[in-house]
Amino acid sequence: MGMETRSFPGNVDSLDPLREHIGALAQQAGLSKKSTYNLKVAIDEIATNIILYGYQSEKIDGTYRLLSEITENELTVILEDDAKPFNPLENKLPDELDLSLPLEEREIGGLGIFLTINGVDDFSYDFSTGKNRNKFVMKVA
Amino acid sequence: MKVTIKDFDDIAVVEAEGNIDSKTAPEFERNTKLATDKSNIIAIDLTAVEFMSSAGLRVLLMLYRNVKAKEGKVVLAGVSEEIQDVMSMTGFINFFKIVDTKEQALSFLKQA
Repeated sequence: MGMETRSFPGNVDSLDPLREHIGALAQQAGLSKKSTYNLKVAIDEIATNIILYGYQSEKIDGTYRLLSEITENELTVILEDDAKPFNPLENKLPDELDLSLPLEEREIGGLGIFLTINGVDDFSYDFSTGKNRNKFVMKVA
Repeated sequence: MKVTIKDFDDIAVVEAEGNIDSKTAPEFERNTKLATDKSNIIAIDLTAVEFMSSAGLRVLLMLYRNVKAKEGKVVLAGVSEEIQDVMSMTGFINFFKIVDTKEQALSFLKQA
């Protein structure tokens, strides 16, 4: 089975249709309501990083792609973009201590990638094709 | 998304509708700031909010700090199970009073 590809413009207006598309894929794959929501959050967070820091702050008018594949056991989704290399897994994530701090003392960043990694069954990053590829896997329970 | 502010005596109620993501969070934040400028007793009604990313959590964090600095009170109403899960994963849930409906938020804030 091949991958289905869909292209989105690199601006925040694409987030709504992107999440809708994820919702349709999740339904097709048979994901639960909770898994569907968590995948939407994960994809939204990474797409936001691509749009704001990969393209907009670099003044690049780009697009990003969503590749997807559904098998009997899982839904695999890849976000691919042409921005400079950015590996979310190299970002410092909040640990248990950070997450127990009173909100007055919290650092503002890092929550998006934390939610991404914790919300999906598998998350990986790859730049071997010369493009950022963020891969998300959700198992069908 | 759509955001409105309504006043119930001393209580400012921010009602949001739709999705809170990096596109719409600035509008949500602008309204929460207007609410804290008006009052230090705030209810945020999220009954009609389906989706909230970390951009929305960031707004709740700033709101919490503003209210705390003014020694005020904030209650969240109608937070979906999914959004509560996200708030729980990030340790936000312990800092907010959460009730089911806007009416419950108002009666809680009137008593407080």
